[in-house]
Amino acid sequence: MGSQPTDRLQGTLDLLILRVLRTGRQHGWGISQLIQQVSRDVLLVNQGSLYPALRRLEERGWIAARWGTSDNNRRARFYELTAAGRRQLADETASWESFVLAVSRVLQTA
Amino acid sequence: MLGPARLFRRLRSLLTTRREDAELDEELRFHLEMEARQRERGGLSRADAERAARQAFGGAQHRDGARDARGVRPIEDFAQDLRVGLRGILRQRTYAVVAIATLAVGIGATTALWAAVYRALIQPFPFEQPDRIVTLWQDDVRTPGRRIEVAPGNFFDWQARSRSFAQFAAAEPYGFDWIGADGPVSFGVALVTKDFFPLQALRPLLGRAFLPEEFEPGRNSVVVLAERTWRTAFGSDSGIVGRTLTLDSVPRTVVGVMSEDAMRPYAAEMWAPKIFRPEERQYRSSGFWQVVARLAPGVTLEQAQAEMRGIASQLAVEYPATNRNGTVAVVPLRDAVVGTGRRTLLVLFGAVGFVLLIACVNVANLQLAESVRRQRELAIRTAIGAGHGRLIRQLLTECLLVASLGAAAGLVVANWGIAAIRTFAPAELWLLQRLEFDTPALLFAGLLGVIAAAAVAVMPMVAAGRIRLADSLAAGRRSGSTGRQARRANRALVVAEVALALVLMVGAGLLLRSLASVLNAERGYRTDGLVVASVQTWSYYPTPQLRAEFVRHTEEQLAALPGVERVGMTSALPLSWPIGLERVRVSVEGRSVASSDELPLVRTTAATGGYFDAMRIPLLRGRVFDVTDMAGSTPVAIVNASFARQHFGDENPIGKRLTLGFMGPPTAREIVGVVGDTRHEGLQASPAPGVFLPHAQAPTGATHLVVRVGGDPAAFQRVVRAELTAINGVMPLSDLTTMDARLSDSLRQRRFQLGLLSAFSAIALLLAAIGIYGVMSRVTSERTHEIGVRLAVGADRAAVRMMVLRSSGTLALAGIAIGTALALGLTRSMRGMLHGVSSLDPVTYVAAAAVLLAVAVVASWVPAWRASAVDPVVALRND
Repeated sequence: MGSQPTDRLQGTLDLLILRVLRTGRQHGWGISQLIQQVSRDVLLVNQGSLYPALRRLEERGWIAARWGTSDNNRRARFYELTAAGRRQLADETASWESFVLAVSRVLQTA
Repeated sequence: MLGPARLFRRLRSLLTTRREDAELDEELRFHLEMEARQRERGGLSRADAERAARQAFGGAQHRDGARDARGVRPIEDFAQDLRVGLRGILRQRTYAVVAIATLAVGIGATTALWAAVYRALIQPFPFEQPDRIVTLWQDDVRTPGRRIEVAPGNFFDWQARSRSFAQFAAAEPYGFDWIGADGPVSFGVALVTKDFFPLQALRPLLGRAFLPEEFEPGRNSVVVLAERTWRTAFGSDSGIVGRTLTLDSVPRTVVGVMSEDAMRPYAAEMWAPKIFRPEERQYRSSGFWQVVARLAPGVTLEQAQAEMRGIASQLAVEYPATNRNGTVAVVPLRDAVVGTGRRTLLVLFGAVGFVLLIACVNVANLQLAESVRRQRELAIRTAIGAGHGRLIRQLLTECLLVASLGAAAGLVVANWGIAAIRTFAPAELWLLQRLEFDTPALLFAGLLGVIAAAAVAVMPMVAAGRIRLADSLAAGRRSGSTGRQARRANRALVVAEVALALVLMVGAGLLLRSLASVLNAERGYRTDGLVVASVQTWSYYPTPQLRAEFVRHTEEQLAALPGVERVGMTSALPLSWPIGLERVRVSVEGRSVASSDELPLVRTTAATGGYFDAMRIPLLRGRVFDVTDMAGSTPVAIVNASFARQHFGDENPIGKRLTLGFMGPPTAREIVGVVGDTRHEGLQASPAPGVFLPHAQAPTGATHLVVRVGGDPAAFQRVVRAELTAINGVMPLSDLTTMDARLSDSLRQRRFQLGLLSAFSAIALLLAAIGIYGVMSRVTSERTHEIGVRLAVGADRAAVRMMVLRSSGTLALAGIAIGTALALGLTRSMRGMLHGVSSLDPVTYVAAAAVLLAVAVVASWVPAWRASAVDPVVALRND
């Protein structure tokens, strides 16, 4: 399951979401804010891709969603990592690192 | 491979689509709110913050809002909708052509029939206060509703005793012979009384109507021409007024020309003043006048009817011999003019309404399929910021565009339809011979266009109403619930179409069976190979001897022509108007009755022996007339089979005697022959008892010569005309035709009904076939994946084909069931139009259902074949 090939760009957003959720449960808006903050405003997540990605991850069983209450007492949908999600995060991280390594090797030598 | 947990989740998401959509909406609203809050904290006002948040999200709502504020948005939008609509129509050319053609046929046919209904049943007659004009008829209390024309004696008494009428007029059928440039002609004339033209209050086209003093003897040598006579016989001569025409050898002055609006009793070609002869006041037994009157102010139809009924019962007491069972029917002009044509028109109008309904259903179906197909497009437009209302307007504009193009093309169809109705309208709907494409028709077509647009637009609106923000974002999900619902609507529409088509087919089927039953009925004579020439010899051969000699000589001359097989003469020809038949009281020797009143009235015809041979009327017993039946020899008669059966039972009537007066005082006559029964007044009229007399012993002037020829009778007419002109160059031929043409004329109304209803049901069938084809192709193309799976797991291709055919058959059967129920109720309104077949005729229902089912199978054959040809590999990869 974890070895399923994922489209690289789509996979990147998935990786970021999984990574953000490792720190704890979060709602969609929170996820987008965290990615933006952590990347120092370099990565801006488009809502049009965020929510489909969340749905996709949910459908694959890597994250689970449930309705809860936000900081300002509003009903919000919170996401958290599942066990499969943690495994997938590890796999994806490893594959990302080998990808980055490969790209930087090409950039350095070519 | 799917793990069990994932399979479960996927199933759940399939089943909970709608709830998920709602959840996603809520989630996105939360997101927007958070975004706005953040901006508010950054110093923006709440409204600005919200707008900025939306802008960050999609951007387009903001632009819509900005343009809204300028107030020109509706116009810009409409122009854009129109442009996009036109582009869309051009892109989907097949769809557009089918939709527009369908609507054009529906709107055009309905408009043409509307024009006919309006003209015949609604448009006021061009007279002053036309709803105050009534017609009066003699009626019989035993058989009410027969509306017999009025005898002169009754007319005078009605006029003198009634208080209900302001004006009272009568018309008597007459004829004037005239020798024109092309030879002798016979004009149909209405002799009218003083009030006839004042009652109508029409302005003459040329000249004037009659003056009061022109109704006095000696001053009545004047005529008024009908517009059509003036145009056809006198070349629209503007100097016609004041001209003197020699009519029936008397010089008469044309004083005016009346427009086609004027009443033309007996289809008169001109009018002349009626001069009363004193003895006419005594005539009460045979009616031949048409009476028209204007109700006095304040008098209702019911009051007038009641008064006339009272007068009739007085007359019944005063003149028991003639008026014993007589009463009076006061009938509004419209009813008298249109008669049974009203039912024909209303049934046909109802039928054409069905065609329009089917057309709308079909276009709605097409439009629905289109909008589902275009859902992705609409979703994208929603995503980039088109407002929901805006999308609906876009769809409406497209429907309006299709409907108005359909209505415009419908005007062309309506024009053809109106021309066809004008040409084929039966005689009793003569009002339709002047049917035109006028303003009411145009307005009606416009109204239909709007209704069609609305009907057509409802479907895609329903579909569009279900397109949500979520759908644009839910990548990979196809049409979800919208598609399912649209499919259900699609199927319902096809069922409706089949049901409506079935009703029309049953209607047409019943009329077809009626016509067949009329045509197949045993007529008792043959119509093929016969030329018929009619003359009125009264004024040219004034004595009985001269008339008898004319008939003898003419028969001889015609029989000598090469190609002629047999010649005969009769005073009353079957299927011909004026019927010209006389009913006289006949007493049979040895049978006594209480009073002469109770003697049966029997149709009596003068004929020659050749008539029976030429018409192929079989001789059952005895002999036909021959040269020995002279004026001075033993008075003889031939009776038909009905007469023989009724009066003699199984006895042989030959040699028996009967007494009747025809062209003279009652005379005892010996029966010399029995001939077969004939259907005389119409093919649906049952044969009635009849007596024939030899023309030499009953020398009437009403003369119909029947000539049986070996070749084509139509081509032989010229020869007959030449021969008759050679015999008498001044006597006009009042009619020259073939017996087949007479037969065909007598079926005109049936053919009119049948022709229109068959055309409507053919259109309905075609539209239903298109509808079924469309829906089945769509359903099968959507099920390609499923079919691929079935084939992949080993399903038989024939089984797949059957699956498709079966589902279209199910739709057709549902439609047939509903249609049958509808037809059982609706065809009841056709009862008066049917003959020899019940409106519940099972053969018709079964045949109509079978045809529809067959059409459904044929229409879904291509989709079925396409489905069975699916390549599983391609189908599965497609997903």
